Amino acid sequence: MALLRLVSLLVFVLALEAQALTPSHYLVASDVDRLQAVLSQPFTDLKSAYFSVVGLSKLGVSVADSNDACSFIKANVDSSSIEALFYAAEASQAISSCEIHVSNETRDSLHAAVSEDSTVSQIHQAVSALSSLGLPLASQEVVINLALLGASALKAYLSITCTFDLAARLDDLGGVYLQFEEGLEATALFVSAAYALSDHVDMEPPLKEDQVIQLVNSIFSKKSWDSLSEAFSVASAAAALSNNRFHKPVVVSAVGPSGTQEGGDLHVTDVLCQPLSSANVLVESATSVASKAAILSQTPFTLRDGIFELNFMASKPASGYYQFSVAVTGDSRLVANHVELKVKVSTKVAINNMDLSVVDKDQSIGTKTTRVEYPNKGKASFIADSHQNFAMTFQLVDETTGVELTPHQTFVRLHNQKTGQEVVFVAEPDSKNLYKFELDTAERKTEFDSISGTYALYLMVGDATLENPVLWNVADVVLKFPDEEAPSTVQSKNLYVPKPEIQHLFREPEKRPPTVLSNTFTALVLSPFLLLLILWFKLGANISNFSFSPSSVLFHVGHAAMLGLMYVYWTHLNMFQTLKYLAIIGSLTFLAGNRMLAQKAVKRYSLHHL
Amino acid sequence: MSLSVIAVISRFLEEYRSSTSNKLKVIDAYLLYILLTGAFQFLYCLLVGTFPFNSFLSGFISSVGSFILAVCLRIQINPQNKGDFLSVSPERAFADFLFAHTVLHLVVVNFIG
Repeated sequence: MALLRLVSLLVFVLALEAQALTPSHYLVASDVDRLQAVLSQPFTDLKSAYFSVVGLSKLGVSVADSNDACSFIKANVDSSSIEALFYAAEASQAISSCEIHVSNETRDSLHAAVSEDSTVSQIHQAVSALSSLGLPLASQEVVINLALLGASALKAYLSITCTFDLAARLDDLGGVYLQFEEGLEATALFVSAAYALSDHVDMEPPLKEDQVIQLVNSIFSKKSWDSLSEAFSVASAAAALSNNRFHKPVVVSAVGPSGTQEGGDLHVTDVLCQPLSSANVLVESATSVASKAAILSQTPFTLRDGIFELNFMASKPASGYYQFSVAVTGDSRLVANHVELKVKVSTKVAINNMDLSVVDKDQSIGTKTTRVEYPNKGKASFIADSHQNFAMTFQLVDETTGVELTPHQTFVRLHNQKTGQEVVFVAEPDSKNLYKFELDTAERKTEFDSISGTYALYLMVGDATLENPVLWNVADVVLKFPDEEAPSTVQSKNLYVPKPEIQHLFREPEKRPPTVLSNTFTALVLSPFLLLLILWFKLGANISNFSFSPSSVLFHVGHAAMLGLMYVYWTHLNMFQTLKYLAIIGSLTFLAGNRMLAQKAVKRYSLHHL
Repeated sequence: MSLSVIAVISRFLEEYRSSTSNKLKVIDAYLLYILLTGAFQFLYCLLVGTFPFNSFLSGFISSVGSFILAVCLRIQINPQNKGDFLSVSPERAFADFLFAHTVLHLVVVNFIG
């Protein structure tokens, strides 16, 4: 009998696919630690001290050495600068038992700063300083609004309506991110300011739930921060998103890449990676992707040590992929609390009833059927020659449930040890999910190159949902092929050796007739010229009447030049150059010729009319 | 039959020798020369093949063109045709002949390769 293994299920959360928007970028515990480390750098000046101290306090952590920090702040505060006073005041407030004493002049200068002439950031800093130092403020309401809204990157002014306007200035990138074009810091500061303002005036911020998630994606997409101010702004935004009265984004993620615990475990946290202890996490429905049958419905998760657990295996699901729809309830502020998860249930496979036999082609009754148990190898080797078929049947079952499986890959590999050749076949299941493999020796001899010999038989089983893919050397098979050629070692095809060099074949020149023939015919073609000269001589043609007038001389010279130009055209020039020269020579020749012929005409005319 | 052909030919040659002027005979000799040159080129092409076909064409067309232009010149110069060519003097005919030849040779040399 085949061995049965213990099945331990692997619930693997594959992807967070959301129909409503869910955060795709969020801080995990290591990111929060890194943020803390950045903010814990030693102080260089008052501004960096402010960022570090206040940033850490927003993360809920106190600065390392508070007395040192306090004395540093007191030493570096410059009473004449409103900005310095602001930093000092905020930082000292964040450190417990740290008080800064201000003189009356300083207080008066702070009050003076809160006026119409100052910039928004100055007013904001002055008012914050005053309130942090515990000093009374001139007119509370309007000024506090300003203070809460004013972050120096934003030119905000006055009331809630401005938050609406600012929200409209956010850029939507691909439906996933929402941020200001000024960058991460501005977006993060906007978020912390908007929620601070909303909490204070008890009005919901003008951001839709999808926009909140998009802001979360933008702010937490960067996991390492260039400057202290950037880290501070991210920390403020994270604190604001975790602790305000209206929106609380929920982050649902899988616990670790692979756990062999029983059940599906999830982290359900806020943006600062703190688990939501008061939440109820519920599986609304779990359906199998293949069969669309619902496995679970309205099943709650149990909270243990900050991790939400579900005992999925209790319902004994078959292996495959499942779609989970998870809802997080318990707090009206929760945003993005409906999540779709894809869960893979994998299993271990067992091979049953592996029967090997050699069947004669004439009868279909097996002569020898041997059962081999996994992972043993068949003791005797099987011999099959061209009159016989080699057959193999087996079953693949799930170890725990005993259900028959049809994995994606079931291959039978025959490997010749001597020549290194291997041939792979596919084993197919029949209607009853029983796998059969038959090797017809005569039919398949081309694939084996008719090389007889001992072949090791391997069975390979694999699938995405299988925990234990199988490579099993089942038995040795001796195949005898007819027409055996001398076995030559098959060279393993090495693809990466240099290929034979291709010599470039230049265009062959056409075959030419022999030079003798060409020369003969050249002479033959030129010979009529001799004949012409002879005939002319016989006719008495002469040049005795040649008058050496300049025009006739010029004409003849020009004409000769034109003929010479034809030759030069043939050898060196192109048409355009020739036409240029021809125009020059031709016009000269024409003029001279005209003159010459006119003279001749006159002579002839006078001769005839004498 | 052949006898009469020979008789006709010899009569023709006799007439030719006596009645044509020297000038025309000079041109006729030139015509014969051109004819032979063209014939020999064609013979080569028949025997050996048209390998540089463009060269053969340009040579052959040069012969043919020259022949035609010379015939035109002969017609225009012939005093017996004076009535048909009142505006064209022999000098003018010769000048035309030269100009046409220039153009012909330009084309031929371009094509000869």
